[in-house]
Amino acid sequence: MSVAVRTRDLTKTYVDGVRRVAVLKGIDLAIEPGEMVAIVGPSGSGKSTLLHLLGALDRPDSGEVEIGGGSLAGLSGAQLAGFRNRTIGFVFQFHQLLPDFTALENVMLPGRIAGREPRQVLESARRLLLEVGLEERLDHFPNQLSGGERQRVALCRALVLEPPLLLADEPTGNLDPESGETVFNLLLDLQARHRTTGVVVTHNPEIAQRCTRILRLDGRVLQPY
Amino acid sequence: MTPLLERPWPFPVILALRYLRSTRRDAFASFLSAVAAGGLALGVAALILSLAVISGFQSALRSELLSRTPQIEVELPPGADAEAAHQAVLAVPEVVSAQILVRGGGWLVDQGKVQAVELIGFDGPVPPSFPGAAGKPQGLYVPALLASRWGLEPGQVLEVVSPRPTLTPLGPQPRVRSVPLAGTYEGGRTQEDRERAALPRKVAETLLGNTSRRLEVSAADLDVALDVAERLPAVLPPGSEVRTWQDLNRPLLFALRLEKLVMFVAVSLIVGVAALALVADLALVISSKRPEIGMLGTMGATPAALRQTFVILGGLVAGSGMLIGTVLGVGGAWVMDRFRLLPVPGQVYFLDYVPFLVQAEDLVLVLLLTLVLALASSFYAAQRAASLDPVEAMRR
Repeated sequence: MSVAVRTRDLTKTYVDGVRRVAVLKGIDLAIEPGEMVAIVGPSGSGKSTLLHLLGALDRPDSGEVEIGGGSLAGLSGAQLAGFRNRTIGFVFQFHQLLPDFTALENVMLPGRIAGREPRQVLESARRLLLEVGLEERLDHFPNQLSGGERQRVALCRALVLEPPLLLADEPTGNLDPESGETVFNLLLDLQARHRTTGVVVTHNPEIAQRCTRILRLDGRVLQPY
Repeated sequence: MTPLLERPWPFPVILALRYLRSTRRDAFASFLSAVAAGGLALGVAALILSLAVISGFQSALRSELLSRTPQIEVELPPGADAEAAHQAVLAVPEVVSAQILVRGGGWLVDQGKVQAVELIGFDGPVPPSFPGAAGKPQGLYVPALLASRWGLEPGQVLEVVSPRPTLTPLGPQPRVRSVPLAGTYEGGRTQEDRERAALPRKVAETLLGNTSRRLEVSAADLDVALDVAERLPAVLPPGSEVRTWQDLNRPLLFALRLEKLVMFVAVSLIVGVAALALVADLALVISSKRPEIGMLGTMGATPAALRQTFVILGGLVAGSGMLIGTVLGVGGAWVMDRFRLLPVPGQVYFLDYVPFLVQAEDLVLVLLLTLVLALASSFYAAQRAASLDPVEAMRR
């Protein structure tokens, strides 16, 4: 399952002390269902901010985000939380696994937040962890896993509810090249097999090259790379 | 055992239980949790014990006091027909007994020794307000303390003097009757009881006239007596005054209640301080888990679910404190009452040990107050977790 992502004239300004910094100035973006889009650009160009807006983690100052044809404007905090739970899987540069939960439990969390039946969530989580080769690591806590393994667990957690949209912010930025390669291969593989729409923010040109499309965020407007 | 995440419990419960376990591994967080739980335990135990000691004294004092005051006292207007009123009162449903009494001031005189007393004239056997003599046949009864001080023996004749004068050729003279001593009663240790003397109504009336006559009425128990008192005025002659045991002891009962209230408020402050420690504990846990809370937010945990998580966590810490405090308080009160661990001089007080009485309503009040304070503190702290912005929270 996948969704189309659209933004119209998206702007976002931060106030830094007394200075107003316009991070996004009128972003128009159209991503087709099933696409895997890389967003590249220098630091401070607003890549992460754009990703947060797409992920319903932040609200734009003006403009609109549409995911699967529905606008996010006007949704309450609790509605946005429910929307994120059902629709979006996040992978961040730092794995952000919960240290008090095992790998398997971490992957189960989104399902338990959604109120799904525990056995069913357990099965989905176990299956995904097997798919990424962590069958020996199910009951390990995050501090017992390597960096690459943690990021693979984080990837499983993002996909366990089969969200139609996967958002990744520098998913390999904190890994050595080899682990990064493994993780990104898995990400692409899972994204393709689950036919998930994907947006990856990255500095890494090699990773960007492997996506279906690259958009460059510079001068605060998106251009094809 | 089923793993936590596979239990069909709501997500905030699962998260709170896991956080409770993880804070035990964090030395500083577990220290703060222990301080909060220990403080609440101490507060609950202190509240239970202090209320129990007051309830114990109240209960002892009340039964002591009520054994000496009638359940219902009716003061008849001057010139009223006491016999008719007596019969009318006996006909009221739920009245168990009623007695006509004559009261007035006077003196006991024996070989130049004088004691001012309240003379109480009664019919039939000695009324229950004279413990130790109640139910004995008519006669003169004086406090045991007075009898021992004066070296009185039963059968010895005392002079009872009334201030009501008799006109004689030599001018007005106080009325004097010589009455043989029938026995003594336990005067108790209160000043008031030392100054009463019981004697037959006929004798009392010759001394005092028949102006101040009263009825003492008893019902099955104290609560029934209050109901009965409301029905009495209808059958009594106009101008009669009906006073219940509550009216008769109002200042003391009020003082006892006030004392308990003040004690409750003062000791509650311990619980208040412990509740603040709980806020500090939860604030520490929340700040140490900021990135995780942010990640939970991106996964779709609603602010309400995050708030519930930390309210439950606070409730678990508080609950363990309350449980320990209740065991300490109730157990301590029971042991100290059962084995009379706190003795007091019996000659000075009317009891020779400090009584403890844990009343169910006190216990409920203490636990309710603690629970409300703990949940309010948890809610206040949890609000910080709920209001975290996920993106901000995940930044380290």
